[in-house]
Amino acid sequence: MGLLYGLLAVGLALIFGLMDVTNFAHGEFLMLAMYLTFFLFMFWAVDPLLSIPLVAAGMFVFGAVIYLVIIRFAMRAKANIGMVQIFATFGLAILMRGLAQFFFTPDYRSIPASLLGGKTISIFGVFLPVPQLVGALISIAAFGALYFFMKKTDFGRALEATREDAGAVALVGIDKNKVFALGWGLGSALIGLAGGVMAIFFYIYPDVGASFALIAYVTVALGGFGSVFGAFAGGIIVGLVEATTAMILPPSLKSVGIYAVYLLVVFVRPRGLFGSI
Amino acid sequence: MTISRRNVLLGGAASAALLPLAKPARAQVKEVVIGVIYPLSGASAQIGVDAQKAFETAADIINKDYDFALPMAKGEGFTGLGGAKVRLVFADHQADPQKGRAEAERLITQEKVSAIVGTYQSAVAVTVSQICERYQIPFLSADNSSPSLHRRGLKYYFRAAPHDEMFSTAMFDFFDALKKKGQKIETLALFHEDTIFGTDSANAQLKLAADRGYKIVADIKYRANSPSLTAEVQQLKAANADVLMPSSYTTDGILLIKTMGELGYKAKNIVAQDAGFSEKALYDAVGDKIPGVISRGSFSLDLAAKRPMVGKINDMFKEKSGKDFNDYSSRQFMGLIVMADAINRAKSTDGEKIREALVATDMPGESTIMPWAKVKFDEMGQNNNADPVLLQYNGGKFVTIFPPQAAVADAIWPMP
Repeated sequence: MGLLYGLLAVGLALIFGLMDVTNFAHGEFLMLAMYLTFFLFMFWAVDPLLSIPLVAAGMFVFGAVIYLVIIRFAMRAKANIGMVQIFATFGLAILMRGLAQFFFTPDYRSIPASLLGGKTISIFGVFLPVPQLVGALISIAAFGALYFFMKKTDFGRALEATREDAGAVALVGIDKNKVFALGWGLGSALIGLAGGVMAIFFYIYPDVGASFALIAYVTVALGGFGSVFGAFAGGIIVGLVEATTAMILPPSLKSVGIYAVYLLVVFVRPRGLFGSI
Repeated sequence: MTISRRNVLLGGAASAALLPLAKPARAQVKEVVIGVIYPLSGASAQIGVDAQKAFETAADIINKDYDFALPMAKGEGFTGLGGAKVRLVFADHQADPQKGRAEAERLITQEKVSAIVGTYQSAVAVTVSQICERYQIPFLSADNSSPSLHRRGLKYYFRAAPHDEMFSTAMFDFFDALKKKGQKIETLALFHEDTIFGTDSANAQLKLAADRGYKIVADIKYRANSPSLTAEVQQLKAANADVLMPSSYTTDGILLIKTMGELGYKAKNIVAQDAGFSEKALYDAVGDKIPGVISRGSFSLDLAAKRPMVGKINDMFKEKSGKDFNDYSSRQFMGLIVMADAINRAKSTDGEKIREALVATDMPGESTIMPWAKVKFDEMGQNNNADPVLLQYNGGKFVTIFPPQAAVADAIWPMP
């Protein structure tokens, strides 16, 4: 679970780190990805495992388009730019939720049978649900790929550079909008991956994002603003803390552990564990 | 002011708008406005959207002439109020008690409703009923089941349906009956969400278990709408009780059953406190994993065999919603009928007069769509004659298995 939290948070951290925009529609992006997986399964019987790349690709396009039609303009605001961005993404979240409820109806969906769903392997009496396990593996692979991409490719370096100083980058002839749009696409694609995996074992409904968005924000803040690696590490910490707390305290208090650790980190190191800002 | 065509039109419109203001002197009630508060968005939106259809079905029966042995069906509108029609105003509380409070206040002060019906979540019923009490507007809790709701000494609070203690008593009666037949039931595991519904339900079950000598081997209170229930299910699995008794809303119910499957835990038996476990969505999602699950309820379509109007009204509802009545939609439907019947007898839209009529309610069970003995409120506003039933999910539908006088089949025990 922790690795999935990490994957979720990486998408958020990437966008945040890239241009200081907090995507309040993060949970709704996840919801959309889960619905995409669901509909691919319902109408074309594509197993979630196979549709994950498709969903990620679809989300990439979606994220880039959202940047080009909404965020780009929100970032041009002359005054109160932070507020404008918050309202733009927050409004987008509410719009997406409303549209989902209108078009998909508020019924709870879930994918009844899939290659992985409901399967379990047992290692020395410890039961490991296969969907979560595969999700964890995909998370690690995606993170590895992202890390390589950011550090080793031209575009990754352009992304980093734009993050550091958008003005200077423009001077060298890199189109800021293009880089940002691709950044949004990349972040959204990561959410698409997470959504595809989660659709296998979680129920799907228009508000599903809310259950995870808060955890994603805490994860990013815990791991460190602006740090993709931190977000991933933060996810693992959140997952471990949640599991441990649930064993020691009554389960209804399990999120208390997460927020306690989060508060502690924020007190001691306000920028988060691996924060660079 | 120059007299132009535009100004003449404006003036006409203005005086037309003023006309209704001059009229109330004659005090002819044209319509009865009733507020309906449900979660129309958010995690429980599905319940609210279905509820809307149930209330519209009831309003349809009130406003048009039908030949059912149901109060308000015969004749158009409120016969006691010169045929006035009912108009429903829906409000969305998003499962949030504070939003429920605000919406109730808005319905009363802005929409001028004569009564309010709600709310699905008991936690929201708490705040809504308090606001109703303050404004002296009758509140009918159609489908809330927390016992503590009617014990607050509110004068304007009414509930026609059973509460969780009555439901839980039926479950333990059922266990006792099975034990007499030689089944082994010793240990129980409680699994309940952390709002008033889950807490009250678990308290009732804990008390009954102690009274009747059952051992609670796990009592797990979990956070509603959790992203993961892995740790909780591991504890349930370790306890491996004879009966698992969940009190969960739909989302948590689905996740519970999915997680149980993933962690390789198959409960010996599940007897659920309704909520999520009477929802079609849950069975669409995970029904194949829990054949033979038992849930308490206050409605059963089996009744249609004895009372044909149940089937006909169900068809009307199905046309609107695409679903059969379930435990919730049936209680929501009856909620509006009971309230409308009282307003009709009160011959008034005044809160105090409606309250008096509600207190005087004495509706025989045969003229409802429920397996209840009758609708008659005690001094707390609770109907103690609403007999609950236990239903077993078998072959894609619910079959009534308990109590014996309502049962159409024997329980399959243990679960297949």
